[in-house]
Amino acid sequence: MAFEIEKIHSMTRRTFFGNTGLGIGAMALNALMSGSDAGAQPLDQNGHKGPMAPRPPMHKATAKSVIYLHMSGAPPTLDMFDYKPELVKLNMQPCPDSLMKGERFAFIKGVPRMLGTPYKFAQHGQSGAYISEMLPHTAGIVDDISIVRSMSTDQFNHAPAELFMFTGNALAGNGAAMGSWLTYGLGSVNQNLPGFVVLISGGTDPTGGKSLWSSSFLPSVYQGVQCRSTGDPILYLTDPAGMSRQTRRESLNALDKLNELEAKEYGDPETRTRIEQYELAYRMQMAVPDVMDISRENQQTLDMYGARPGAGSFANNCLLARRLVEQGVRYVQLYDWGWDIHGTGPGDDLMNAFPSKCKQMDQPAAALVKDLKQRGLLDSTLVVWGGEFGRTPMNEARGGSKFLGRDHHPHCYSVWMAGGGIKPGQVYGETDEFGYRIVKDKMTIRDLQATILDRMGIDAYRLSYKYQGLNYRLIGPTSEATLHKDLFV
Amino acid sequence: MKTAFFRSLLCASACTIAAASSICAIAGPVKRKPVPTVPTLDYLRDVRPILATNCFTCHGQDEKKRQAGLRLDIKEAAFARLASGSRAVTPGKLAESSLVARVLDHGALQMPPAASGKHLMPSEIQTLKLWVQQGAPYAPHWAFVKPIRPGIPVLPPALKAHVTTPIDAFLLKELARNSIPPAPLADKFTLIRRLTLDLTGLPPTVAEVKAFIGDKSADAYGRLVNRLLASPHFGEKWARPWLDLARYADSAGYGSDPLRPNLWPYRDWVINAYNKNLPYDQFLIDQIAGDLLPAPTEEQKIATAFHRNTMTNTEGGTDREEFRTAAIKDRAVTTMQAVMGVTLGCAQCHSHKFDPITNKEFYRMVAVFNQTTDNDQPNEAPTLPVVAELQKQRHSDLIREIAVLKCGPQSPEVTAEIAAKQKAADAALKPVQLPVMQELAADKRRKSFVLTLGNFLMRGDEVSPGIPAAFSGSTKDVGTRLDLARWLTNRENPLTARVSINRIWAGLFGTGLVETEEDFGLQGTLPSNPQLLDWLSMEFMSPSHGGTAWDVKRIIKLIVSSTAYRQSSVVTPLALEKDPRDRMLSRYPRRRLAAENLRDQALAISGLLTPTIGGPSVFPAQPGGLWQAAFNGERNYPTSTGADKYRRGLYTFWRRTVPPPNMAAFDAPSREICTFRRFATNTPLQALVTMNDPVYVEMAQAMARRLVREGGSTPASRITYGLQLALSRPPSAAQVKTLTDLFNAQCAAYSTAQNADAAKKLASDPLGPIPADLKASPAELAALTIACNVILNMDGVLTVH
Repeated sequence: MAFEIEKIHSMTRRTFFGNTGLGIGAMALNALMSGSDAGAQPLDQNGHKGPMAPRPPMHKATAKSVIYLHMSGAPPTLDMFDYKPELVKLNMQPCPDSLMKGERFAFIKGVPRMLGTPYKFAQHGQSGAYISEMLPHTAGIVDDISIVRSMSTDQFNHAPAELFMFTGNALAGNGAAMGSWLTYGLGSVNQNLPGFVVLISGGTDPTGGKSLWSSSFLPSVYQGVQCRSTGDPILYLTDPAGMSRQTRRESLNALDKLNELEAKEYGDPETRTRIEQYELAYRMQMAVPDVMDISRENQQTLDMYGARPGAGSFANNCLLARRLVEQGVRYVQLYDWGWDIHGTGPGDDLMNAFPSKCKQMDQPAAALVKDLKQRGLLDSTLVVWGGEFGRTPMNEARGGSKFLGRDHHPHCYSVWMAGGGIKPGQVYGETDEFGYRIVKDKMTIRDLQATILDRMGIDAYRLSYKYQGLNYRLIGPTSEATLHKDLFV
Repeated sequence: MKTAFFRSLLCASACTIAAASSICAIAGPVKRKPVPTVPTLDYLRDVRPILATNCFTCHGQDEKKRQAGLRLDIKEAAFARLASGSRAVTPGKLAESSLVARVLDHGALQMPPAASGKHLMPSEIQTLKLWVQQGAPYAPHWAFVKPIRPGIPVLPPALKAHVTTPIDAFLLKELARNSIPPAPLADKFTLIRRLTLDLTGLPPTVAEVKAFIGDKSADAYGRLVNRLLASPHFGEKWARPWLDLARYADSAGYGSDPLRPNLWPYRDWVINAYNKNLPYDQFLIDQIAGDLLPAPTEEQKIATAFHRNTMTNTEGGTDREEFRTAAIKDRAVTTMQAVMGVTLGCAQCHSHKFDPITNKEFYRMVAVFNQTTDNDQPNEAPTLPVVAELQKQRHSDLIREIAVLKCGPQSPEVTAEIAAKQKAADAALKPVQLPVMQELAADKRRKSFVLTLGNFLMRGDEVSPGIPAAFSGSTKDVGTRLDLARWLTNRENPLTARVSINRIWAGLFGTGLVETEEDFGLQGTLPSNPQLLDWLSMEFMSPSHGGTAWDVKRIIKLIVSSTAYRQSSVVTPLALEKDPRDRMLSRYPRRRLAAENLRDQALAISGLLTPTIGGPSVFPAQPGGLWQAAFNGERNYPTSTGADKYRRGLYTFWRRTVPPPNMAAFDAPSREICTFRRFATNTPLQALVTMNDPVYVEMAQAMARRLVREGGSTPASRITYGLQLALSRPPSAAQVKTLTDLFNAQCAAYSTAQNADAAKKLASDPLGPIPADLKASPAELAALTIACNVILNMDGVLTVH
């Protein structure tokens, strides 16, 4: 196992045992590791050498941060990125037998009818990529992004698919989040902000729930922290009414002193970990409101995103994502709920709900790429856009619904990536004439996970954590994860 | 998976190196190199993990995935002649065992195949060879063989003094084997706090501490245990882990997550069952099949709401049968998980790859639950009208008040009041419609099928109800829920007692003897002390003298009476080195309180606690807008007022998609599915809860007022009292000084004119105006609030130790 990983392991081990180097735990461990109890390095005031301290990557990284824009519910990418004129021709024709054989669907019953996209597509930019009229702003950045039309997954229900994508395991609680893995492997540049931030829009949590940003078996310091754009940016961040920062500092000094007494008396390493958590909480109390305050941005920037201070919107979250990576946050995860376009009614159909979701998403997502680019941050920030699975080329018509919509479809869908070492302006992978199966350059969830880690300078095969006798990895125990080097600059 | 065997090999080689270098250094008399002895392999510990990880996927139980007709998980099959003519394993003969040739092959015949991504380490190949040489012994999985009562270990005289219960003999034997000396006993202050928190989830009062310290009798501790076991708060503490398993919540789950304000009588049933010490077998029978008992009582019918905690999907357009099917599968999975620690979930799509449960057997288990009338209706039918004790009491209180009013002078006001009270009295008796289990009529019974990949639409073979063959032993067919409940609670069942004992153990020591409390199957961890687990399980199933079997309180009393439970939690370098995770219990394991009990304790210390037991769930304050996250259904959180604001954590309304955030931060689950273990984390977000959550601020404010009333008149005496309330012991001078200094500095700061408003706020927002009779200025109260906020955040307060 690589030296760096060994170092990370010993670092987190020490975290478990209290890494100030003053505790019995640290002394005992140091004694174990170096043969004496000398040489233990105390944690400095800025938290360096702690479990979140930045660590060098395993190999040369092309990205320092990740912003993942997840469209929870799985957007119909046949109406966005994967243009299928043949499907349009077959619109409302019965589905050919060849597509139904051996297949099952979440909701489709009997023989469904094909559903050609009701939206116009046109080619854009130097790359000439086809983009739907629903995404005019995204059309403007096609030369900065790489569209992958050949994503596939194993899961076709929302929660398991999201969990599989973001924790590497379809069962809740059985995998650590990608952001947890990356902060575990690389630490984070800014010790006063969480290294892994989660931002939610669309009115509800993603279906996979809070397990999607759980650190699971990894040390809990690597857990994702949800920041809200209304109210307290992090729950309970604000000191009680009538308490000044100075007072909070003084009360924390007293608490630290009392807890030090406790640590000395009982020798439990966890006590020192707790002292650190209080100090981190204190620093967060100052840093988080600053970074979350988008009213500090000029009007032009706000307009570019369509952001409005105080709203809990995807636009605000895109702008926040930029502000967070600017401050050195390692991994920013956006979840935007509302993309489950089944067509059971106007609330989730292709003609009403879908255009309104596109409108909320298109401009800010494009603005994020443009903004990162103009600030020189795109080269070091990997932006990923996508859902948890695809949607059928057939109309779902659940219960005879008259509204258009598509059922869950794990075999293929489109995502896009930008910046951070991804070749701009290309279209990668191909599906058949109906957008039903992949015919070229299939990219699996494991591949995508390995790609993201690779761009961050981490070998997904070597980033592992031993827990209860098993060697856990984000990409699971098998060797199926493959890097698609054609996507790389 | 590295086996213990290889760890010991590694260890042995490290020792050899150390020995060699010390020889060079000292150049003393040459010591003979020890002759390497061939270790005797233990199949379960050393061999099976290698086979399971690398071979069972294609050569295991799953008949659909099986290759070359070979299965290696069963001795007979592994030794049999294959279609190819060879044998995978011929005991004692390497050359006649194709398994050995195949794992050594580097070409096309290599096993596991390169494409599988699996790879055997040279050491693992060595183990497999050794195993074949040693006759390829197989062993049944320990947990699937029923426990027998082991003899109590005999200890050397020096250790005997540390034994108060047989439990200690088992533990001390292991500690001695690892050369770890026993820890000293904890002092009496520590003990009363530990025991009171563990048995009731509340801290002892100052008077209780005083009484216990003053009780110099030999049986002081035993009497303390008895008092706490008899406390009505015992049931509240011990109900909580079961409610996690029972996935009890106050909402129906899924997308819109509608409220389910009618399930709380079940929660109260669980509390009451613990309080009246319902034997564990009856506890299970009532919940799984109370309605099927001959002449069931109302209580027994209420208990069956256990399986009505399954989620209901009320969204338009969903298929009732789809979510009814999901619910009955969940009932089968939860039953086996909660009672037997066996994970069934993966068998719904394919035969379990590790545990002896086939796909068909899974659906036979589901079939047991397939005959109830409920079918995912938004109105939760069928329901049982329940009038709870509390309701009846409220009714009779009102009737009494009306009688008093009628005896007094009459006036139009009095008449109106009587009418109002009469109306309230009638309303008090309005029954709660509790969802319960109800069996289908004989002519309406459903057929049950294997469902392909768990899909309710894809029916395979028809199945009859039954239990997995691996567990059934001599049991005849299990047809109904009642049969299942009786089978689960039969003494022949190898797992029911072990799993419940393990959970009780985890409730008292933080971690079970089997660390994977939820999985006693082949993928679970081995018990840290198998004999102790079996001894306790046998003890649990045996009737006590003059009492009953499955006596929960008796077994808890036995465990808390052990030296192990009463030992100090001080961590020594030696113990940390030899027993880093405290699996051998070389000291009492210090641990953070559970989410609910953090709240309970702070409420008790502050004096705010409303100790009422049971009743409808309540809505303590939470940050605004959180229910907006539920995309449909109820979006307004109806914050409670008055005494209901200060109820214990387990009465907080639990909405599955938005669990109470201040408890979720401390690892409380969503209660969507059966949850065995809460993994304790230590994060900055928790610090924010206990420092800034208005609920905790309010508790600090109330505590400050309490210190003024009860803690004498000087800052030091008040601080001392506050620390005593929170730590249940006289504080050290350093602790008192630290907080008194803080108080003095803050009191001075808040006494200035420009801070007058801040002082008032800090002393009263959100608790309410400072009472006129309280002999303290706003500045003093503000500064005391700050000190109390610190006390409630002390590591020694957040943890039980």
